[in-house]
Amino acid sequence: MDLNRSENSSCARHFPEDKAVPVDPLLALRNIEIKRSNTFTLKIDALVLQPARIYVLTGPNGSGKSTLLQLLSMLIAPDQGDVSFSGNPVRTGSDRKRLRRQITLVEQTPYLFHGTVYDNLAFGLRLRDVRGDLQRERIIKALKIARLDGFENCSAKALSGGEVSRVALARALVLQPKVLLLDEPAAGLDADILPIFEDCLKKSAESGTMIVLSSHDDEQARRLDAESLQLDSGRLARGGEASEDNPVACL
Amino acid sequence: MNFMVTSFQYALEMIINFDAEVFQTVWVSLYTSFLAILFAALIGIPVGTILGLTRFPGRRFILTLLNTLMALPTVVIGLLLFGFFSRQGPLGPLGLLFTPLAMIAGQTVLATPIIANYTVASVSGADSRIMQTALTLGAGYIHGAWQLLKEVRFGVMAAIVAGFGRVIGEVGVAMMLGGNIRGYTRTMTTAIALETSKGEFAFGIALGIVLLTVALFVNVFMYRLQQKQ
Repeated sequence: MDLNRSENSSCARHFPEDKAVPVDPLLALRNIEIKRSNTFTLKIDALVLQPARIYVLTGPNGSGKSTLLQLLSMLIAPDQGDVSFSGNPVRTGSDRKRLRRQITLVEQTPYLFHGTVYDNLAFGLRLRDVRGDLQRERIIKALKIARLDGFENCSAKALSGGEVSRVALARALVLQPKVLLLDEPAAGLDADILPIFEDCLKKSAESGTMIVLSSHDDEQARRLDAESLQLDSGRLARGGEASEDNPVACL
Repeated sequence: MNFMVTSFQYALEMIINFDAEVFQTVWVSLYTSFLAILFAALIGIPVGTILGLTRFPGRRFILTLLNTLMALPTVVIGLLLFGFFSRQGPLGPLGLLFTPLAMIAGQTVLATPIIANYTVASVSGADSRIMQTALTLGAGYIHGAWQLLKEVRFGVMAAIVAGFGRVIGEVGVAMMLGGNIRGYTRTMTTAIALETSKGEFAFGIALGIVLLTVALFVNVFMYRLQQKQ
């Protein structure tokens, strides 16, 4: 099913016929339902996310932000509904496994594997057969972006909380994913690092990466020139609608 | 008392002089135990990892079975395998009874539940973020599980050491499947049990000292692993 071309979409009426419409959304969800407990169900009727854009996901604790990020990261499958990536439906476990090479999630309290910082950044690169000088070059560059120059030989278990967050971010950036998902990344960062981090996200988006980050900071969407998505009790309360900038945000 | 002291002196002399029979027996014990542990690890670690990471119908039954097998007397395992390896048994034509291979098979059966159970405990108790992190970085489930095992490596090594401790010190399987043939299937434990009854007390003491030393090393190693974990 191609969500972008759905004739029954409720969004079709939101924009004039002569308006240029982006060809393929990167990620699209439709009629999603994920039951996580007897009291909580994530329900999203429609959400379309475009490449090279930043989305800030806000909402109170327990509103479903992490569940939505897990769904977008292809770690879990919906109980009901359709997910598509670049216009292609995602149905099977092998579809999700294949896409996880293009989507990276940085968790709120990231886990670093034992070994050095370099080993951690090399983990995903080795899986993608990026080795040798290219591997080293990309790792050094990612560490520089995360303001961790010279940390490559440090033991990952000896880092402070803020450093762990930055290594996790560098570990995701080094993979140059098409989709970068961040679960409350600002929580582990010092105030002086935050502008650098946000600048880094903007540059990643400019180079084509779609970014979704969950946050409790309402100002973050404005600073990042991002679209705001608001979740409330498992429902998308705001965002994802069609607009001049994002005419197919809601199908 | 004098008898004890004299025997102990003879035993020490045997060890210091590298008595051929003592060290032949020690060698048989060590190589059969090492090979048994290798095979048990190759079976027990994947089984333990699958049981620790997945949920499926019958999982609880398998866990109960593994726990029961851990407590099974070694002579019972020896008895069951004796039936398999004896001339009239299904594996009789292979002629394995009273060979080191039969002992290795029996000790593998003995150690596998221990290694599997310890691995289940390590994997189940591991940080749930390990697997998720590996997956989000692009790993498949098998690669993710391998990374998880690397993270809980001290627990897995403790499983192997515990299995080795059980195997090196057991007597039932080695006696029933090996037959205590001098220079061939005679292990430290079977030699202690049988040679002492024949009046070779000093020989038994010498082997006992070596066995205790091995047990001490195993325990020290286990303790250090637990400290690291």
